[in-house]
Amino acid sequence: MSAGLASGAGAFSEPAAALSGVLLVDLSRDFGFAVSAAMLADFGATVVRVEAPGARREASADRGEGPRQGSRDHRAELAHRNKRSLALDLDKAEGRAVLDELLARADVVVVDGSPGELETRGLCPEHLVARRPELIVARGSGFGPKGPDRDLSPFDELAAARTGMMPLLPQPGQPPIYSGAGEMYAALLLAFGVALALHHREETGRGQVVDASLLAGNMYGASLDLQAFLAIGGEQFLKPLDLMDTGNPMSGTMYEAQDGKWVTLTMPDTDRWWPDFAAAVGLDPADPDFDTHAKRCGENCQLLVSRLQEIIGGEPSAHWRRIFDERKLSTDVVEGFAHPASDPQALRNGYVLEREDAALGAHRSLGFPISLFESPARLERSAPAVGQHSEVLLRDLLGYDDARIQALRACGALA
Amino acid sequence: MPGVLEGIRVIDLTVWFQGPVAAQHLADFGAEVIKVERPQGGDQGRGVISVKTMPTGDWNQYFLVINRNKKSLALNLKEAEGQAILHRLVEKSDVFLSNLSPAALEGWNLGYEKLAALNPGIVYATNTGYGTRGEVDKPSFDMTVQALSGLMPRLGEPGQPPVYLGVGSGDAYGGMMSALGILLALRRRRQTGRGQRLDASLYGAQLFLAAPMLQGYLATGSDHYAKQRSRREVPNPLWNLYPAQDGWLSLCLENSDAAWLRLCGSLDSPRLEEDARFASSDARCENAPALVDALDAVLQVRPAADWVAAWQALDIPVSPVRTFEELEADPQAWENDYLLSTWCEAVQREVKVRGLPVGLSETPGQVAKLGPELGEHTELLLTELLGYSWDEVAELKRAGAIP
Repeated sequence: MSAGLASGAGAFSEPAAALSGVLLVDLSRDFGFAVSAAMLADFGATVVRVEAPGARREASADRGEGPRQGSRDHRAELAHRNKRSLALDLDKAEGRAVLDELLARADVVVVDGSPGELETRGLCPEHLVARRPELIVARGSGFGPKGPDRDLSPFDELAAARTGMMPLLPQPGQPPIYSGAGEMYAALLLAFGVALALHHREETGRGQVVDASLLAGNMYGASLDLQAFLAIGGEQFLKPLDLMDTGNPMSGTMYEAQDGKWVTLTMPDTDRWWPDFAAAVGLDPADPDFDTHAKRCGENCQLLVSRLQEIIGGEPSAHWRRIFDERKLSTDVVEGFAHPASDPQALRNGYVLEREDAALGAHRSLGFPISLFESPARLERSAPAVGQHSEVLLRDLLGYDDARIQALRACGALA
Repeated sequence: MPGVLEGIRVIDLTVWFQGPVAAQHLADFGAEVIKVERPQGGDQGRGVISVKTMPTGDWNQYFLVINRNKKSLALNLKEAEGQAILHRLVEKSDVFLSNLSPAALEGWNLGYEKLAALNPGIVYATNTGYGTRGEVDKPSFDMTVQALSGLMPRLGEPGQPPVYLGVGSGDAYGGMMSALGILLALRRRRQTGRGQRLDASLYGAQLFLAAPMLQGYLATGSDHYAKQRSRREVPNPLWNLYPAQDGWLSLCLENSDAAWLRLCGSLDSPRLEEDARFASSDARCENAPALVDALDAVLQVRPAADWVAAWQALDIPVSPVRTFEELEADPQAWENDYLLSTWCEAVQREVKVRGLPVGLSETPGQVAKLGPELGEHTELLLTELLGYSWDEVAELKRAGAIP
C-alpha cells in the first residue's frame, strides 16, 4: 500500500536526495527548531523559510549575544543552511494569502512557539491539518502541547532549569550549569518526528501534528541520570558530587595533568583494564592495595584516586594521550573547541566542514552527524539573506507572474 | 492501535546504550525490533547490576527501558549455523543495526557487502565511535568521546574542572541520530528500491550536541567562544542565573529599558532603578558584574517561590532551577507523556520510565512492555518467522547456534 511520494517541491526537488520531492515550509523563529528544518534540508528536503521582511530576528539577540554591528550570527549559518528565504509580511492579508497558497502545496510545515501563541498567529497545527488532512505540521514548543504550563515562554534556559539536571552538573557550591544541549536534543526530536510522519503519509496519504518540546529535549538529554533517579530515588541524584568522590577511580573520572588539561577515564570493569592501565601509569599490577576490583572500588578507592591524581599530575596531557593510546585504553584528554576545529577525524567524516566565503574567508562550520553512503547530506547553499529567494519561489514554485509579484511588493507584503 | 512503523522489521545487534536506544525509538513507534544477543549473558547492559558499573535499584532500569517493545533472539554468531540464521533473518528484514565494531561484524560474515547481497533492500546502520573514515581505532565510551567535543571545559565558572553532561548524554543523542538516519534511508529506498549503508557515530553526535557554542568558534576561531564564562560576565545580565534564599532562578528577560523597569518594580530596592550604571541597555551590559552582584544581594533575601510568583504576575519569564524530584511531580512531564508508568515483570509492579519525547497526533508511540528476557522469542522467531521445523530447531540447539 503506497500513497506515493511527496512532490510538493516540484522543480526545486533534489532528485538524488533522501528527502527528494519534500516541500517543507519553515515558519520557525528560534534557533533549535530552525535546526530541525535545516537537518531535513541537509538531506534534500526543499525548505522554504518564510520570515518577516527586514533584519532577521535571532533568538540570541535577546540573550545579548547577537551579532555585533556588521558581523554575522554564526549560529544562523547552521540553522538556515540549505534553505531558501521568502520574506512575507504575514500581518498583511496579501502576505498571509501567499503563505496559504504555499501551505496548500507543502508536505511539511515547521512552526515554533507556545501552543497559545501559535493559535493567535493563525498557525495552530490542529487547524492547519483539519483544513488539509495530508499536511504534516511539526510544532516545536517550550513545554509540550498539553499541561498547565504549555504557554510559558519557550526559552531553553527555562526548560533546562525545570528538568533537574542543572544542579547536578557543577562541583558542590558552584552555580547550576546551563549547557544548551537540551535545545539540540529538541531539534533532533522534531526532525525525527517529521521523518516518522512522512513515513505514515507515504503509506496512507494522511498528515498529522508532530510535537517536540524543549522540555522533552532536556529530559532526554538527562536520560540515564533521570531514569536512575526514577528507579532508585535518593539524594545522590539531587545534589552535585565532588569530582573526587567516586565509586570507581577508573570510570567516569577526571584527573588534572601537569599542563592544566584533564585526563578522563572510562574503564568500568576494572578487572579487564587494570593490568594494562596499572602498567601504563607505572603502578605494579600486583600491588596488594589494588589487586582486586573490590579493593580498587571499595576499601582503597580514595587511596587509588589520590595516587592517580599524583601520578597523572606529574606529566603533561600529551604524554598521557600517547601512553594510553599505545595501549588502546579507554581514556582521553579533555579538549577545548580548538580540537574539533582541526581534528582530521572530524574533517574526514564530515562532522566539521571547511568553507570559504566572501564575508568570513576560509572558515569552518559544523557538518553532518549522520552519514548516509548513497544519499548523503550535502551543503548546497549557505544560509540565505532574508528574502533572497522571494521572487524565484513565487515565480517557479507558485507560478506568479511579474505583475502579481510587483503588486505584492508595492503593498509591502513581499520583500 | 498499529504504530506508524508497523511492517518495518529491524535487526538490533547492539549492546550498551547508543545502539539499543536507536532501536528503542523505532520500536516505540511500532517497528518490529528483534534484539539479537549472545546466548551467554546477552547484551552487557543486562549485567550492570551485577558488575556495579552504575547505580541500580531492584530492577535494571538501564537495560529494560532502552530495550522496551523489543523481542529477543539469542544467537551464537561465532558459529556458522548462527550466522546462517541471521542471514535468513536479513532476507526478511528492512533494517540491520549494530554498534559492534566493523571488524567483529566482518568476522561474523555480517559486513555490508554480504548482507546487501542477501537483501539489496537492507538498510545497514552502524554506530561507530569516531566515524567510518580516518585513523582512530580505540574504544569509545560516552565520556571519553565527549572529552573531544570541546564543550566540557567551556562550561562552568572560570577555573572549575570540565563538566560532563551526564551519563549517556552523548550516547542518547547518537542513538536518536541513528534512528533518524534509518528513516531517511528507508525513505530513499522507497524511491530506488535499494537500501544503503549509514553510520551515526558517537563523536559526530557529540559535536552536534555542542553546536550552540561550537558553531561560533568554528566560524571565527575566537577564544571568546571556547573559554569558560562567569555568570558575572554575561552580555545580558537580565538573562542569567540568580540565587534566591533557598535555590537558584533562571531569569530570561531581554535587555530593554522597559523590561529593566518592570524587573525593578518587583524588587524591594528603589536604588537600582536610579543607579546610573544600569540606566541603559549598553550600561547594563558594560557594568554586568556590578549588576549581577547587586541583583544577587537583593534576590538572596527571599525564597525562590516568592520571586517566581512576583515575576510571573509581571510577565517576566522565570523558572526555578529544579531537581529530578520536582520533575517527577511535574504535571507538565506527565500530561505530555514525557514520563510514563509501565508494568515491570521483574518486580511485579508499575515503575516510572522515560516516556515518549515525540508526539504524533494520529499515530502516537507507546510503551507496551519493558525489555525482553534473554532469548525470550528465539524459538518462536525461528519457527514462525524463519520457517525452521522443530527438528531443525533441536539440531541448531545441539550445534550450539541457539541456547
